[in-house]
Amino acid sequence: MFDQVEDAVERLTRHLRRAVRIDPALDDRVMRAITALPAPGRATWLGEMWRWLRSPHQLTVTPLGGLAAAAAVAVVVVLIRMDSKPPAPHYEESRAFQFVLVAPRATRVSLVGDFNDWDAGRTPMRRTGTEALWTAVVPLVPGRYHYAFFVDGSRWLADPSAPVARDEDYGAPSSVLTVGGGGS
Amino acid sequence: MGIHSVGTSDAALVRRVQAGDTGAYADLVARYRDRLGRYALHMLGNREDAEEVLQDSFVRAYRSLARCDDPERFGAWLYGILVNRCRTAGARAARRARRFVHDPVALETAPLAGPDGRAEWDDMVRWALARLPAESREAFLLKHVEELEYEDMALLTGAGISALKMRVKRAREQLQAMLKEAERV
Repeated sequence: MFDQVEDAVERLTRHLRRAVRIDPALDDRVMRAITALPAPGRATWLGEMWRWLRSPHQLTVTPLGGLAAAAAVAVVVVLIRMDSKPPAPHYEESRAFQFVLVAPRATRVSLVGDFNDWDAGRTPMRRTGTEALWTAVVPLVPGRYHYAFFVDGSRWLADPSAPVARDEDYGAPSSVLTVGGGGS
Repeated sequence: MGIHSVGTSDAALVRRVQAGDTGAYADLVARYRDRLGRYALHMLGNREDAEEVLQDSFVRAYRSLARCDDPERFGAWLYGILVNRCRTAGARAARRARRFVHDPVALETAPLAGPDGRAEWDDMVRWALARLPAESREAFLLKHVEELEYEDMALLTGAGISALKMRVKRAREQLQAMLKEAERV
């Protein structure tokens, strides 16, 4: 079959290099999936600083400069110790909210909204014993939230039991939840 | 060939997406779909898994686009995500195979059991690739099919250049042995 074994590997390589055609429908699936995600944006200055801090840099410090830096650190430590009384923390009280979706034929459902940056990976919903109900519990502080359900990695559903809002960012329907500071 | 960007418009498209033009991402997906799909298909051995991994890679890349340091090299950056996703999917598939396949003899001879008793060339290639260890298959495909330089491969895989050369060499030797064996059947 092969004159030389080496020829067989070369032939195999040529075979593997042939163009492969992937179903263009994949493009639509990708675009549908990313519609549910927040815009990626550019790297923030904080991200840039973190990246800079993590990457190695060569610094040259003179003995005098080193002494000055050590003195500055010492001053900061002394000031922190003198001002040892911690500021009173201010926390907004959060309350747990249970979100429920009836979706008997769904295989996976995520809750996405302002509270989790519309990240489908952060709040997966759990199927209950009845197999039809999907639930997730999220602690929320007072405020107004847009949210939706992301079903089977492709479908985007507003909550049928809540007021619907058209999301300005993604153009997909979402629901509105208002959490008050008092009782409701 | 390598993993360089296609002209300068990769960077322009990336910047448009970063500025909020989500539709521009469709152009990047269409541009890289088939090329990355080839690697995923050969690495994973079946089209369904390959398309799933490819889709996942594009979505992950979109989510992380703010961290694409050099938009000019978007293609190389995307390739890195795909290579990692293929590794994860390959490990998962290997676990699945271990659960359901218990007959190593049947596994080894299955592709050769065509109606005429010999594999078609396409089946034989798939069969031979599938029998390579994942690391060797990855190195062989990146070097000889995707035609990357060892420096680029090292960046993508996290392995050292000498280790990659060794994997490619072993892959070639194993493929030679397997093809020779298949020729005798």
